[in-house]
Amino acid sequence: MQIGDTFAAWELPITPTLVVSTAIATRDFQDVHHDRDLATSYGSKDIFLNILTTTGLVERYVTDVLGEEYDVTGISVRLGAPAYPYDTLTFSGDVVAATETTMEIKVVGQVSLGAHVTATVGVRVR
Amino acid sequence: MSDIDLREAVMAKALELQVMGETAPRYARDQVNQPMINNWVEAMGDSLSRYTQGEAPPAMAQVWTMGGLNPQRDPNDPLHSMMEFLTEQGFTAVLGTNCEQTYERYLRVGEQLSVTTVLDSVVGPKMTGVGEGYFVTTKSVWRVEDEVVATMLFRVLKYRPKQADANAVDPTKVLRPAINRDTEFFWEGTRQGELRLQQCGSCHELRHPPGPACPSCGEFDRTFVVSSGVGRLFSFVVHRYPAVPGKQLPLLLGLIELDEGVRMVAELVGMGPEDVEIDMPVQVAWQRIDDSLTLPVFERRS
Amino acid sequence: MSNRLSGQAAIVGIGATEFSKESGRSELQLSVEAIGHALADAGLVASDVDGLVTFTMDTSAEIAVGRELGMGDLRFFSRINYGGGAACGTVQQAAMAVATGVADVVVCYRGFNERSGSRFGQVSSWANAQVNTNGLDNAWSYPAGLSTPAATVAMQARRYMHETGATSEDFGRVAVADRRHAANNPAAFFYGKPITLADHQASRMIADPLHLLDCCQESDGAVALVVTTTERAKDLAHPAAVITAAAQGSAPDQFVMTSYYRPNIGIPEIGVVGRELWRQSELAPTDIATAVLYDHFTPYVLMQLEELGFCGVGEAKDFIADGAIEIGGRLPINTHGGQLGEAYIHGMNGIAEAVRQVRGTSVNQVDDVQHVLVTAGTGVPTSGLILSR
Repeated sequence: MQIGDTFAAWELPITPTLVVSTAIATRDFQDVHHDRDLATSYGSKDIFLNILTTTGLVERYVTDVLGEEYDVTGISVRLGAPAYPYDTLTFSGDVVAATETTMEIKVVGQVSLGAHVTATVGVRVR
Repeated sequence: MSDIDLREAVMAKALELQVMGETAPRYARDQVNQPMINNWVEAMGDSLSRYTQGEAPPAMAQVWTMGGLNPQRDPNDPLHSMMEFLTEQGFTAVLGTNCEQTYERYLRVGEQLSVTTVLDSVVGPKMTGVGEGYFVTTKSVWRVEDEVVATMLFRVLKYRPKQADANAVDPTKVLRPAINRDTEFFWEGTRQGELRLQQCGSCHELRHPPGPACPSCGEFDRTFVVSSGVGRLFSFVVHRYPAVPGKQLPLLLGLIELDEGVRMVAELVGMGPEDVEIDMPVQVAWQRIDDSLTLPVFERRS
Repeated sequence: MSNRLSGQAAIVGIGATEFSKESGRSELQLSVEAIGHALADAGLVASDVDGLVTFTMDTSAEIAVGRELGMGDLRFFSRINYGGGAACGTVQQAAMAVATGVADVVVCYRGFNERSGSRFGQVSSWANAQVNTNGLDNAWSYPAGLSTPAATVAMQARRYMHETGATSEDFGRVAVADRRHAANNPAAFFYGKPITLADHQASRMIADPLHLLDCCQESDGAVALVVTTTERAKDLAHPAAVITAAAQGSAPDQFVMTSYYRPNIGIPEIGVVGRELWRQSELAPTDIATAVLYDHFTPYVLMQLEELGFCGVGEAKDFIADGAIEIGGRLPINTHGGQLGEAYIHGMNGIAEAVRQVRGTSVNQVDDVQHVLVTAGTGVPTSGLILSR
């Protein structure tokens, strides 16, 4: 791959199950990620994805495309709109830097409210 | 406390915590292990085979040292202390804004992790879309024995939530455009995410705002093209007073010169007053008000 | 082109109510009072009036005014569109009517509770809801949120600054001049209250780059002007203010306050007015002793100086830098205090001041006045006059 190459988009439907199962799998027990009543009482529309999951999904999106040829060396995420159940999180990716052995991929995860995450992922040939 | 005194108190607290330096290492409850990796890849839907062969996903680094269901707070944890202090000052709400992780290598099943944290910076107060607050950044380092295996800069906004009261803006209250058969195509387009520009079917002249005739050749042969939505800022206004129905103040308003050569007035979004300048490259985005109205808005084009 | 209007008609009476923030009476009463004062000033009575002209926006119908004043038969009534752009246009209508013999004595009037009633400085929802082409035009700005006069002007002002290098302080010099003049005018709302450039810069932002002190007041009040032939004027109370030129103007691709789609987004419509005033009068800018330049927003005063030929394009900031527009300067403007200092009566109070300058009765009288130029609302299709001794 080289600078300017684009990753195929990935559309991930957000479900309550996805939000809860990933929150628990990342050992994040904050109530806003599994208890809808409490989440809404704080003014949130619903439960929402936790940050560790967003980072995990960004990693998965990149490694799904690149396979096992590369190691992930860093993930830098800027968070935007929350990802709520019944929305769709659509990832897109662009190679923004590349050397013989490394690449940087800019990943944007979009929900209906706007960008949920803008990330830069560093990878290196294994 | 005055605003200036408050800021000084926050900065003094930040300095006190920064001087304390790194916390003592806190150890992960469990060694890196396959069942937790399996739970993680199952939930994420990740199918990389290396995660079944003794390697852990890099993005799990922080998972190993999470506090769990009943976290024991380290009284010396700088993030926790800073948060508590800001809460006492009325900055009650918290929002994660940035997380930058680096991974030195992939972790392997059986390794025992520890984490240390230091307060990196406290910046503010800043007025943000959700309210006024401070950006608090901590740096965490994960080690296996003395070997650094991963790092993280984690930034949160600790803020005073804006009052959700009569000042709250209801976007559906925007003034509705008058529409007739000469202009309906434009608003039909915005509902579909198309920025339509009237084009004369006879002489091909583009025109905005539209009208029934072509001022260039006089024909009534109207068609339209869909604009690239790309252009530059010809002029702009920062509207601060009075209130405008359906709009948050300050309101940024731009006169955009589209690449096709016609101009258009629209709200500028995703930027503050200090970010706007004439000739700035912009591109269209859409603000859906309801089923009947979608407004074109413009954001900075990078 | 022939030049049959010049010198045929004159303003022979001026009248006004007090200018306030809350008149406490109806808009119709304000207009009726102002017309009464204007007729008395002219030495005429209501039954002499056979024509009335006002603004399309005015809420008091000619027949209502006629009833309250006990007028007889009216032979001529007309209204002019486009807000404050109508001001001098009403006098042009009256002049044409008396010059052609369609009427003998025509009164132009404008009265409103523009501060205590419907405030123009607020979001003009009504303008967006008009069921006509003006309403359709506003669909291209109001829903986006560009919906106050100050904001629409600010868009042009920002571009003007970008193109000419003019600064907010240059705009401020207009406000300082107006307020200096108003400080001497007992009728002005800001009588005895001059400001400095520092005051201007410190005033809060309304629609950046416009500060509060770049914007005219919102006022309650009414002004009336009596127009008749120069022939009949000779027998009346005061020296006539002869209408040497009277023009309206609109330029290609014209909108109301949002003419943003032509190559230059300045105010070429006032250039149209200016060229016609010079043509009718056979005068030049150097013949003008003092001017009343419509000043609902300060940037437009700089643009008008350029469009009218008092200075070159982009040079207004230099023209006004040394106090040229203040009393004692090369071209004192708005000697009543303007709409920033005296009151905002949609430009009609500025015409009354031009008449006073011709008569020699202004509180800030300029020496040796032969000709005064007056303009109407800018940013809209507009109008202008040259009044002479």
